[in-house]
Amino acid sequence: MVGAEGEAEGLSVGQTLTAARAICPTLHPIEADPVTDATALLKVAAWCERYTPMVAADAPDGLWLDVTGCPGSEAELMQDLAVRLQRNGIGCRMAIASTAGAAWALAHIGGKDKTILPPRQEMAALADLPLTSLRLETDTISGLRRLGLRTVRELVRIPRAEITARFGHMPVLRLDQALGLAKEALEWLHPLPAWSERLAFAEPIFTPEDLARTLTRLAERLCERLARQEKGGKRFLVRFFRVDNTVAEIALAAALPVHDPSYLSKLLQAKLESVDPGFGIEAAVLDAETVAPLRLRQVRLADPATDDWGKLSVVIDTLTNRASPQRIWRVAPFASHVPERAVQRVPPLADRPSWTADPSVPRPIRLLPRPESIEATALVPDEPPIQFRWRGALHRVRVATGPERISAEWWRGKREDNRPETDLVRDYYRVEDAEGARFWIFRAGLHGGERRPRWYLHGLFA
Amino acid sequence: MHALLRIPFAEAAPPPSEQRRPTALPAHIKALKERLQPSRIATRLLPFNDPSVDGCLGGGLPLGQLHEIGASGLARETGAPQAGFVASLLARIDQARPIFWIAPTDDLHATGLLPHGCDPGRLILVRSKEDTDTLTAMEVVLREGTAAAVVGEVGELERIASRRLQLGCLRHGVTGFVLRRWPYGYRERQRDATAAVTRWSLTPQTSVRNGNEPGALRWRVALTHARGGRPGEWIMEVADDASHSVRVVAALADHAPEPQPRGFLRQAVGYG
Repeated sequence: MVGAEGEAEGLSVGQTLTAARAICPTLHPIEADPVTDATALLKVAAWCERYTPMVAADAPDGLWLDVTGCPGSEAELMQDLAVRLQRNGIGCRMAIASTAGAAWALAHIGGKDKTILPPRQEMAALADLPLTSLRLETDTISGLRRLGLRTVRELVRIPRAEITARFGHMPVLRLDQALGLAKEALEWLHPLPAWSERLAFAEPIFTPEDLARTLTRLAERLCERLARQEKGGKRFLVRFFRVDNTVAEIALAAALPVHDPSYLSKLLQAKLESVDPGFGIEAAVLDAETVAPLRLRQVRLADPATDDWGKLSVVIDTLTNRASPQRIWRVAPFASHVPERAVQRVPPLADRPSWTADPSVPRPIRLLPRPESIEATALVPDEPPIQFRWRGALHRVRVATGPERISAEWWRGKREDNRPETDLVRDYYRVEDAEGARFWIFRAGLHGGERRPRWYLHGLFA
Repeated sequence: MHALLRIPFAEAAPPPSEQRRPTALPAHIKALKERLQPSRIATRLLPFNDPSVDGCLGGGLPLGQLHEIGASGLARETGAPQAGFVASLLARIDQARPIFWIAPTDDLHATGLLPHGCDPGRLILVRSKEDTDTLTAMEVVLREGTAAAVVGEVGELERIASRRLQLGCLRHGVTGFVLRRWPYGYRERQRDATAAVTRWSLTPQTSVRNGNEPGALRWRVALTHARGGRPGEWIMEVADDASHSVRVVAALADHAPEPQPRGFLRQAVGYG
């Protein structure tokens, strides 16, 4: 696209640099940077979501906005968008039409900066436009030109079968799409959320109080709709559209489906400090990205745990949605003899896992995340060590018991010779040192194997 | 002249207690008094079932308050005896409600809690980033008051932070345990006195050999501070049987003439 000043000088798109320089000697050429352009386009597209949730980028330089049902008249909307873009140094040409194809043609080829095409006028508007207005590939266009076809009207006159036989289905499809006879799927930036609430402001807002109030309003509206259908949101996204064409976001996850407006706005407001309003915020959108039916738990008599269920989810939500999110889990038993695999993590609101004690296999209360290598001295290879060094301190073994042999799970992992040492057969000993500290150490591997057995410390008893 | 030499106490004055007390307390002082009324504070006690320990504590470990459990030597870094001791206590606190265990390290082994009688199914584990993070997380849990107990593994603990936790415990009736544990190789700074109502220090003790095997777990347990009670020191053992109870093997350095009556601590807790 060529700006107004350029046009006055006689510059046009597709001109060679030499020709352009000849016309305008002061021209300062800048290398094309398609990657940055594409990123910038996506940013503008994201900002355009302040008007409608349905925005698609049309590389390299276009945007689709589905403005069906948007508040205000189309002309006002167009004017508003043009002014805002202009203010940020982005020139644009716009067209509103009933079909995406027609709007594209009028914006790109039609001579005017702003066009609004009334419904069912597509044929009349497009008839005299050149074939380039149909979004066809250059090969197809030059092929059609060779046949003497110049305008859309001429193309319509040719029998469809003949065009399709020669140029494939695209020319006919694009024509039908532009005229509204065929459907067209556009790639929207965000999949359309069914649960979305939007609030726009006449004047940009930026004080924390205003933002908090906005969140409350949005949460109330959304939760009212959710509650009507007995649903609750599990993931939420708030987008604040700033005056300077950027978007600030708050993402939120809840342990249980939420449909309580005061609770939702409380959770959102807790994260408000991460939002930088910049020069002001013009619009805000709250989406419920994941929605689930409210989970109604059967209330059992004389079970105080059920009363605490809601409160528990509040604690967990508060902890997960803090500035430094924390991992929260419950532990459940897992059928494995390998100690580090005998415990699995389950979500914190899962049903209470049932554990049964097995006194025959004592386990330490602290299990190191990975076994730590120790220097052990054993008198006889098959016996527990008489002393070992761990983290620089020497421990003399006073009494030891074992071994408890735990084999690696051969059905998992790699072949024997590739395995890490700790994945070989382990002989565990419970040892007590002269001070009374109790350790759980093991010898990895067997004597007489390819690798010499080595000693590791895996856990500590209380 | 004679009339001036009146003897004041000969007069029929109101009793001194009523005379001193102002008729109407300012509202905020009233509210404060209300809040700190011993009757309002959860005074459930968790007895150790041993007269020497319960005597020092005034009947048992007061629930709904903050307790600090430290250790000496290697255990300051491994945190193992602290975890074992607290697990034995948790085993007897409110079975239905969950327990939050907040720690920056990820080495608590659920299966290892079973020998202490604590059901790991009740635990909700939270991994924090650092000490301050642990403390805030503990406060969040205390605020909702849904948990039976909160356990936090903390190294440095300032008096103010501990005071906030103690107040949180009092307000919501949740028992709090601070396990003092430092990262490996970390040098402890000057030790602050914390606002915990009891402070314990554990030292592992060699067990009585059971043939060729180590016997039941033993600690030297020092009660270094008990608000309204008095300190004491014992050797305790975790019973190997199904009861998993902690029992006193030998009393050390407890020179009290006789156990204090029950309810003694009840009067004193909460004003700190």
